[in-house]
Amino acid sequence: MPKEESSKVTRRSTRSSASVTVENPEPIESHPPTIDDLTFGDESITLDAVLSDFPGRRSQIFDFIRLMGPLDCPTLPIMIYGGASTGKTSVVLQVLRHLNRPFVYSSCRTCYNPRILFESILNQLLLHRKCSSNGYSSAKRCDKPSDFVNLLREALSNVIKTLESATGTSRLNKPDEKPMGKMVYLILDNVDLIRDWDKGSMILQFLFSLDSVLKMPQLGIVLISGLPPDVYYSNMGYTDPIPLFFPAYSEEDLRQIFLRNQANPKLYSAFLDAVLRSFCRVTRRVEELSTTFSSLFRKYCEPLDDLGISPNEDMKRRLYSYLKPFIAPCLNDIFRVSSHPHDGETRGERRQKVSYSSENREELKILDFHMSTSAKYLLIAAFLASRNPATLDASMFDSTGGMDNRKRKRKASEKSMEKKEIAEQEAVMKGPGSFPLERLLAIFQCIASVGDSSFGEENQGEEEEDPTGYDRENNNLMSDILLQVSSLCDANFLIKSGSCPLEGSIRYRSMVSEDLALKVAKSLSFPLAKYLYRR
Amino acid sequence: MGKEIPAEKSLNLIRGRLCHPSFIFRPLSASSDSNYSKLKFIVSTSIMEGCNNSILLLGPRGSGKAAVLDLVVGDLLEQFPDSVSVIRLNGLLHSDDNCAFKEIARQLCMEHHLLFSKMASFDENSHFIIAMLRECGLAHKTIIFVLDEFDMFAQGKQRLLYSLLDAMQSVTSQAVVIGISSRLDADQLLEKRVRSRFSHRKILFLPPSRDELDGLLEHLLSLPADSSFPSGYVSRFNDKIKNITSDRRFKDILKTFFNAHSTVNSFLKFIFCAVSLMNLESGLLSLENFKAALSSMQRQPKLEAVRDCSVLELYLLVCMRRLEVKEQSSYNFISVMKEYKAIHDSFQTSDYYAQNVCIRGFEHLRERQVICYAENRGQSQTGEYRPMKLLISASELHQGMRSHACCPAILLKLLDH
Repeated sequence: MPKEESSKVTRRSTRSSASVTVENPEPIESHPPTIDDLTFGDESITLDAVLSDFPGRRSQIFDFIRLMGPLDCPTLPIMIYGGASTGKTSVVLQVLRHLNRPFVYSSCRTCYNPRILFESILNQLLLHRKCSSNGYSSAKRCDKPSDFVNLLREALSNVIKTLESATGTSRLNKPDEKPMGKMVYLILDNVDLIRDWDKGSMILQFLFSLDSVLKMPQLGIVLISGLPPDVYYSNMGYTDPIPLFFPAYSEEDLRQIFLRNQANPKLYSAFLDAVLRSFCRVTRRVEELSTTFSSLFRKYCEPLDDLGISPNEDMKRRLYSYLKPFIAPCLNDIFRVSSHPHDGETRGERRQKVSYSSENREELKILDFHMSTSAKYLLIAAFLASRNPATLDASMFDSTGGMDNRKRKRKASEKSMEKKEIAEQEAVMKGPGSFPLERLLAIFQCIASVGDSSFGEENQGEEEEDPTGYDRENNNLMSDILLQVSSLCDANFLIKSGSCPLEGSIRYRSMVSEDLALKVAKSLSFPLAKYLYRR
Repeated sequence: MGKEIPAEKSLNLIRGRLCHPSFIFRPLSASSDSNYSKLKFIVSTSIMEGCNNSILLLGPRGSGKAAVLDLVVGDLLEQFPDSVSVIRLNGLLHSDDNCAFKEIARQLCMEHHLLFSKMASFDENSHFIIAMLRECGLAHKTIIFVLDEFDMFAQGKQRLLYSLLDAMQSVTSQAVVIGISSRLDADQLLEKRVRSRFSHRKILFLPPSRDELDGLLEHLLSLPADSSFPSGYVSRFNDKIKNITSDRRFKDILKTFFNAHSTVNSFLKFIFCAVSLMNLESGLLSLENFKAALSSMQRQPKLEAVRDCSVLELYLLVCMRRLEVKEQSSYNFISVMKEYKAIHDSFQTSDYYAQNVCIRGFEHLRERQVICYAENRGQSQTGEYRPMKLLISASELHQGMRSHACCPAILLKLLDH
């Protein structure tokens, strides 16, 4: 007898879990899913509601509705593409809610390999819900496209039979609801992520030709992708789906989007007049602008006592002049989400910050995370080792720990200037150099002793009879150096570069930017600029 | 259900026709020297004479190979009801030999009402298939094997092909192997031992001529004069179609379309887009529908990507282009930043942003595939130092910037020299 392989996973029980009997109150079982659950579920909405929910997407919504066609209309596969946060997924789902047609939605971001993707689609079609009674397993086990096609065909024919019998009987309960029709739509989101999967190109080829393999006109396929269709061209070729493009929002659309759901639209529109144009020059993505605008709007409303008033021209000008000094630094911080909490700040603190940030237009010179002293010295040593060529170490770090005078500058000839330019370009292209561990430790010892000697000089005056005092200080910094190196590697300040096959030692490379190194040096009062080699 | 307006019904009908390949290819295959007749002749002779045969159908994608084959198979199943069974395999799904044998065994079991066990091993399946072939041969039943994406089966060891073709030669069997491929050199991919057992019959599917396509257009778009439509509507619709097809502008549209696309499938896609734009109130097609469909098929994705860029991203693109013009063969983020700073210093633009903002701009450009890393293996460097390259050409960049909504004039000047 053919036996369907049950997909129950036998769980291994540990000794502790087997010994303890846990009394879990069973959650109240919701009703098993029916064919109605394939539609959006909530109340259906009118077309005007959809159009007003998505300002600036009017033509795309109409195009999509036209491509879907009237009830029970067979359709060729459609691909919807556009940048990030342009509303592709939400428009598709809301339009399907308006049309009240059954659909199956699966995203390739949550279903990160073919097996999970296929099983999720089949679960929805077979009206199977994962719960504790079936061990949270899928209805059928499926990881190959060949099995998927067979199982999909079976599941679809069952669903279509149920839909046909449902349309035959009259629906007495909701007479003004749109009929569900006899077609099922398959929506696959984030299709561009499949390119990075194992055997991704085969899966993509399979998905694009799914409708010709299945040959079932009752299935409509909608693919949503973040990348345009020319990215998917491969040497195998396929008939590409009908494209529908969602362009990025224009400034006018962004204004309408941000004005929705605002408590005081007039005040917010005055705020948008001030900031929208300059921020749109950097980015037009809704999610990035909304985080910046929320914090800026808080600042904008600071001088106001009553947030419900609508401002007149004079007030608008005054508010704008208050906000103006914040706009420029905020533009440079636009992609950074601040880690400081906004609540609980007193006015005094904020004024301090205001004056501080208006003084230095560059970023704050304070390190905003904590590192131990030895880790800081190690970081600086790595930075120097990457930036300076190894041949200069001896002259830079002689026994006094100070810098030798540079050799006299001769007037540079044109040829050497050219050579210098080319060398500079090459240096920029290559990036930071790699160094062996011994060099790192040598430089670390030199500069740590520089730092120590500035402490040690004061101490040595007092404790002259204690010769081991200096060594003890030194020892404290030297301990656990290798542990520090590995934690710096974990934090991505150092990375392991390839090792030289002759020497066999591990080489490291510093990944720290110059600004961070300057910040760390400033916190240690270390004269970094003296040690940097400038060509 | 009787409240459907006639426009919707006609739309349903036409779209249904477009999605149904056999409706489309039957009129194209009507003549006696078409591929349909050739194929039917070969297969029916091998069925009637009880001999083995193998054919390849070759042609570009979307020229109707599978559709014509379906037509032939459908006709033969009607003509010889009990002596033909069809096994379908697809190279995309079944290129792995285990999968393929399992699928063949499963389909054979379904045809002959046998019980299929999923646990059967590869050897058991292959013995079963050979036994079935022998039995069917003795009973004078022909098995037709349809191998879609034939070139995928020709990868690797070609075990499936060898066993099928070998069984056909050694066992008393009646089988026809039909391979469908869009690679015109699919038979060159076969191994020596497979090729020797393969009879080199090839049927080429060429793009249809203009007359055939005009006829197809008429056939697709004219509504039948049956009673389910209101009487005046059918005649109005068909008259409108005749008006459109005889219009000179429509012929220009078709000519522009055929300059770029030659297969039947792309033509069907074009008609589909045009028909979906039908005005549902009047229920009639118009010339504007076809024009709009043509422009939707002529998309330029790189141009759209450039138009979607913000001003900062345009600056970065212009800097990269200028570095290319200066014949710097490879450049990375740091060198682009230097160029950006140089532009700002010489022209005092108002758009000078900090490095972390520019890095995010770079990331957005990379996500949209307008730029990319030049080599894939440089994982030991951070993103700032890896060499990059532009994925759009200078003319596309020009065009995109000129049609951009708010591109600053200075950028266009910088791009020109």
